[in-house]
Amino acid sequence: MKIFLNKSSPYFFIAPALILLLLFSLIPIFVSLIISFTDINITGLADWSQIHFIGLENYISIFQDPNFLQSIGNTLFYVLFGVPLVIICSMGIALLINFGDSWIFRLFRLIFYAPSITNVVAVAVVWNYLYNPQFGLLNFLLHFVHLGPIPWLQDPTVAKIALIILALWRAIGVNMLIFLAALQGIPKAYYEAAMIDGANSWQRLTKITIPMLRFATFFVTVTTLIGWLQFFEEPFVMTGGGPLNSTNSIALFIYQNGFQFSKFGYAAAGSMILFVIIIVVTLIQFRGQQKNADNQM
Amino acid sequence: MNEAFKHTRLAKAIVITILILGGFLMVLPFVWMILSSVKTDMEILQIPPTLWPKSITLQNFINLFTQMDFLVYLKNTIIIVLFSFLGLFFNAMAGYGFAKYKFRGKNGLFYLVLATMMIPGQVTMIPVYLMLNMVHLTNTLLGIALPGLVGAFGIFLFRQFMSTISDEIIEAARLDGCSEFYIFMKIILPVSRPVLAVQGILTFIAGWNSFIWPLIIANDQKYYTLSVGLALLKGQHASNYALQMAGSSFMVIPIVIVFLVLQKYILQGFNVSGMK
Amino acid sequence: MKKMSKTITAVLLSLVLILSFGLSGCSSSATTSGSSAKNKSITVWFFGDQPQPFQKLVKKFQKQSGIQVNVQAIPWANAHDKLLTAIASKSGPDVITMGTSWMPEFVKAGALADLTPYIKDNPNLKQSNFFKGSVATAEYNGKYYGAPWYVDTRVLFYRTDLLKKVGYSSAPKTWNELLDAATKLSKRGKGYYGLTIDPKEQSTAFMFARQNGSNLIENGKAQFNQPAFVGAINYMNQFIKQGATPKTDLGIDLTQSFGGKGIVPMFISGSWNINTINTTIPDVKGKWATAVLPKGKVNNKSILGGADLTIFQYSKNKANSAKLINYLSGTRAQMDWLKISTDVPAVTAAWENKALKDDPLYKTFGEQAKTAEPLPLVPQFEQIAQNELASWEKIYRSGADVQKTMDAFNSSSQKLLDQK
Repeated sequence: MKIFLNKSSPYFFIAPALILLLLFSLIPIFVSLIISFTDINITGLADWSQIHFIGLENYISIFQDPNFLQSIGNTLFYVLFGVPLVIICSMGIALLINFGDSWIFRLFRLIFYAPSITNVVAVAVVWNYLYNPQFGLLNFLLHFVHLGPIPWLQDPTVAKIALIILALWRAIGVNMLIFLAALQGIPKAYYEAAMIDGANSWQRLTKITIPMLRFATFFVTVTTLIGWLQFFEEPFVMTGGGPLNSTNSIALFIYQNGFQFSKFGYAAAGSMILFVIIIVVTLIQFRGQQKNADNQM
Repeated sequence: MNEAFKHTRLAKAIVITILILGGFLMVLPFVWMILSSVKTDMEILQIPPTLWPKSITLQNFINLFTQMDFLVYLKNTIIIVLFSFLGLFFNAMAGYGFAKYKFRGKNGLFYLVLATMMIPGQVTMIPVYLMLNMVHLTNTLLGIALPGLVGAFGIFLFRQFMSTISDEIIEAARLDGCSEFYIFMKIILPVSRPVLAVQGILTFIAGWNSFIWPLIIANDQKYYTLSVGLALLKGQHASNYALQMAGSSFMVIPIVIVFLVLQKYILQGFNVSGMK
Repeated sequence: MKKMSKTITAVLLSLVLILSFGLSGCSSSATTSGSSAKNKSITVWFFGDQPQPFQKLVKKFQKQSGIQVNVQAIPWANAHDKLLTAIASKSGPDVITMGTSWMPEFVKAGALADLTPYIKDNPNLKQSNFFKGSVATAEYNGKYYGAPWYVDTRVLFYRTDLLKKVGYSSAPKTWNELLDAATKLSKRGKGYYGLTIDPKEQSTAFMFARQNGSNLIENGKAQFNQPAFVGAINYMNQFIKQGATPKTDLGIDLTQSFGGKGIVPMFISGSWNINTINTTIPDVKGKWATAVLPKGKVNNKSILGGADLTIFQYSKNKANSAKLINYLSGTRAQMDWLKISTDVPAVTAAWENKALKDDPLYKTFGEQAKTAEPLPLVPQFEQIAQNELASWEKIYRSGADVQKTMDAFNSSSQKLLDQK
């Protein structure tokens, strides 16, 4: 009995989650793959006999679509700057907040977490005001130090950076919590031993804390990278992809084609391409971790 | 000793200063939202804007409950949140399965789990809707809750944290004749308290803010959630900002409470150091 | 003991979940949609704000007919998604308040029912009751898919006090006058402008082009690089070049641009602004007016949009749905809705009502609606219009060559039109 339980128990643990994922994620992904080879649009949605297989046509024309190519470029820009910023900032803040446990540090936990719980409607309204070129608070403050005005959402490059700042602001909270939780798992004995050996605080940080955070760091890196590759909400509520298509991301491009123009086949092709990009990037990361870490995966 | 003490006091002061500066920027939009919720419609649109309301009005909150069925939405939202905690439990189980067992197909299955995180959510919307429609779950609260019940993010996070739990405790419990499920419930979950707290907060927020599925699955307003109600305040041409701010502020209160309750567990630590 | 009960609860819960999912396919108790529930009740999908106003509107109808009306309000931003799922599952509402620009797409998808058979019993549905332009949004291949509900037509809003100061005691009547007035207004100082051209408004260029004699699309051929269309773009561009229209989004609301000093004292927009101005900028009361659009080379036609009342093809309650539409198309209900929502009536007879005829602000809309025409009624138009905005952005922001940009826009539009 016990042996039976031991052998089947891992499956018992993962079954409920896997069944639900299979139904609500994996099968739909498979459906998307199929429709990416069809010309399905709103007419086809109502009457399935109107759907035709068109082979790779969607994939060929999407790679000739300048808007799609531009959205790939924009997304790479977001990833390149956004991912490191999120990791560094959230880890840094977690380390700072972990410094003490008095009421003020507890208050800071809430303060730095506040952006994550603010409703996106409110976020859009407030940040639109902050970024307002004439009356916005940011340009008002810059004016004091004789800088600006900066066309936050009006200039193609600046607008990208403005969205990165906004997304960073929203992303710090959750990742900070993850790092904070991980910091609690580092045995105090390690620090005590290091103190006895005469290690200074910088050495303790780089030799103990950061290496011990590697599970959390790996998690944050993978999920942040995926999140930025799917960057959607910020351009959707702030710029709609403009100016001059400069803030459009791949995910937003897919949304526009799928749900605004009802070109489901075309949009599915776009999402399959994004899917492949994300898989490749994630696999590279797992390979990297495998080399470094001991027995994971 | 005295020297070191002074050193930390100074460091602490520096840390607090940095945190105050950063915190000010972080919290500003949040404070703005709260303050705007008690402003009049006209004052909200005023330029230059006022930070502190000139006259405080609770009319926006009253309108929220009289003009809209916010109480119905509130009830639905709470039910969705309860469902999502069941999902949290499934995630924890799966995370444990992947972290602490060796079994056939483990890597492949885990990659499959991760793959579900990599596809943009909008893509799966229509297929999932059709499936739920086929089994007559559209227009039910169960149908609203099911698609988002479990998620790769949660499973992945649990796996990462549970990997750091030492194998010796589990082995010791097995030698004592404990069942696998008992080990999970009585040993693994208690030492995972920090990550459970993090996940609890995230799960609560996700359930509390759930928007797209309640909207798509519901064919009747009596199944709307608070977020959907809030989206109704955004008109085609003009939006009622004051009401939106009041709605957003109202929605944030329970999250803050849950956060304050759960955050102390984040800092309780694994307390497994002695065994390592 | 405690542990045991916890375990059991968890196992039970998961079982219930899995079972309910597997078995519910056989259970008949689950209701799929509001459409079939009771023969005496119908479901309306209402896109927009709070549902209460619409519920108020149908109250009288419920009393008179004994038909229960369930209103489901759907947020604007997600209306399209929601309609797609309804079509995909062939279940949904009975009546939909459909935006006119979405009509071609959903008619083509076969989502809407022909109203012709119901006209006999419901005389208010007759096409001759409505503005011609509105009926055009509902008729395809000789069939009639929706009764116009309200019209959205665009007129000129202007600050009378500020225009007087630059020598205009009445609204500009021609393109030249409009440009002249706007330029003069922008000379008031740095940071002042004359006319708003909303960079996100899809209809503007097509409206000006039509006034300039363009037919936009002729027999399936795009006319966007022809002189009439290009001329209109050049005309719009002159506002930018002369500083009469802000080059970048000022990021300000109507309250700031139209109120107070009147940073931008003229704009072209729809009737909902009347209410917005009255409630949010009361300080300009009596200092502003509406006027029909200035005349271009050929005409002063405006754009006509709004919403049509349609019946979902898969509705099982079409007769009662038609009754509701008949009620909503009555003069009384049209005036009620005006009061509730400030949407102006699509029924021409309603404009004989004093509340509209004698109101100088509203009267303009009735006059403009008589000649107004909808944007081209092809399913691809949404995307064509978005491409137009992108092309226009290239012209006014980065100074791209007008003819070349419009050539490119024309050929991309043609490609879309050629797709079936």
